[in-house]
Amino acid sequence: MESMKDKAAIVGVGYTPQGKVPGRSSMSFHVEAARNAIKDAGLKIGQVDGLLMQPPMAAMGDFMVAPAYLAQKLGLRVRFMAAHDVWGASAGCMAQHAAWAVVHGLADYVVCTYGENALSGISEYGTALNGGGEYGMFGAVAGYALAARRGIHELGTGPETWKEIAMAVRKWANLNPAARYHDRPMSYEDYYNSRLVVEPFRLFDICLISDGGRAFIVTTAERAKDCKKKPVYIMGMGQDHSATNVPQATHLAGPIGAKVSGEEAYKMAGITRGDIDACEIYDCFTYTVEMTLSGYGFFALGEGKDFLKAERLAPGGDFPINTSGGQLSEAYFQGFTALIEAIVQLRGEAGKRQLGAVTKTKAPEIILVSHNGGVMQTHSTLILRR
Amino acid sequence: MRYEKPLPVINEDNAPYWEYARGHELRMQKCANCGHIRFPVSIVCPKCHSLETEWTRLSGKGRVYSYVIYHQAYHPAYKNDIPYAVAIIQLKEGPRMESNITGCRMEDIEIGMPVELYFDDVTEDVSLPKFKPAEGG
Repeated sequence: MESMKDKAAIVGVGYTPQGKVPGRSSMSFHVEAARNAIKDAGLKIGQVDGLLMQPPMAAMGDFMVAPAYLAQKLGLRVRFMAAHDVWGASAGCMAQHAAWAVVHGLADYVVCTYGENALSGISEYGTALNGGGEYGMFGAVAGYALAARRGIHELGTGPETWKEIAMAVRKWANLNPAARYHDRPMSYEDYYNSRLVVEPFRLFDICLISDGGRAFIVTTAERAKDCKKKPVYIMGMGQDHSATNVPQATHLAGPIGAKVSGEEAYKMAGITRGDIDACEIYDCFTYTVEMTLSGYGFFALGEGKDFLKAERLAPGGDFPINTSGGQLSEAYFQGFTALIEAIVQLRGEAGKRQLGAVTKTKAPEIILVSHNGGVMQTHSTLILRR
Repeated sequence: MRYEKPLPVINEDNAPYWEYARGHELRMQKCANCGHIRFPVSIVCPKCHSLETEWTRLSGKGRVYSYVIYHQAYHPAYKNDIPYAVAIIQLKEGPRMESNITGCRMEDIEIGMPVELYFDDVTEDVSLPKFKPAEGG
């Protein structure tokens, strides 16, 4: 792959009200997030000439939730546009495709959006997502719990490892006023007392479902210098989508797509894993974080129980992850939860949870962002820097 | 009594699979070119892209590859079933499939446990392939 190192940058981020926000359509979150990202970048409406949208889960096949309608509502006339669905890996894949587009002149500024009224509206998350309703298989939790059970069997992992991830991420959420669990500290006891949902997962192994939207804007490194905010550069990128049917999959206990896409991203960035200051990981389930960090080479498969300690991963630790509270304890916006947080951290705008002196952690130069979709069937890696 | 649980989504592609199941036969597509047994149903073999296929009958013998226990009823019709087990079954002939394990205590299920097929006639038109501990272990 041609090196894209430092050729493109992310220059704007957009938030919306989040958590439980009744009375809003999914489309309205896309529109508002995009609007706020354009404002944040200091761009005029007419400058944005590219648009990528991740359609909400509940709108699959809904003709009215389409990129052209989003462009229409934003008053954009674009020359690069697509609905972009690589499941949970979409945000990272969008950033990569948008980077290629701006570097090769398909567009100058690409806005990438996500939005869904998943909590208050018609949510698909608890339904038979991939079929299987006839066997009582509901929710993404089914496939991940089946994977986690293989993990227990093959790697000797389990709740004693996963509780460390859940605890650390919750501590970050306690510093983030926008997080669902901002006001709710968690103890190990709370973790073990949380109810079994789909064994081996307890409630606190499982991510939230949230209303809201997020957006970001990608442009060339050259143009980024003229934007309002400090650019965040894309140093490295990679994708690996095994796509295998879950029962036939050989990756349920790893290695997952983090390995191949991560190696690609490290190579492009010209760094090793030791250069990473923090990780923003797609934490749909605690087990996913273990699989992902192992894929990136931070520890061998089966050594998660030694590496993953809450005091290392939490504020004050030497290996901070998911500093917004992640999908487990902040909000679930597919890959946008992790990606937007990385940008905000690299800009130094993260308030009480800011990496650096505020949280007694290393000030971040380089952050790794990971996204996976399906049951670890799609994967995207981004390495971002200040 | 009306059956209120979700039924399989039967479409043009998988209709033969469910038609065989209705006759209490577990059949999957075997590639006539390379012999690979594929699942779920598809028009081409993912290994060699041949369109030539035959519906081969499987023994229904297998082992538990992975399993989970549902403690939450995501659908009202499952309220009286929890806790219930969903599993991936490694079939003797090679492919794996999702199904339920019944006929034993949840705590007795383990990976590698031998299981055998039975059919649950849930409606007049639909029989679901399910698994129970193999007789004689």
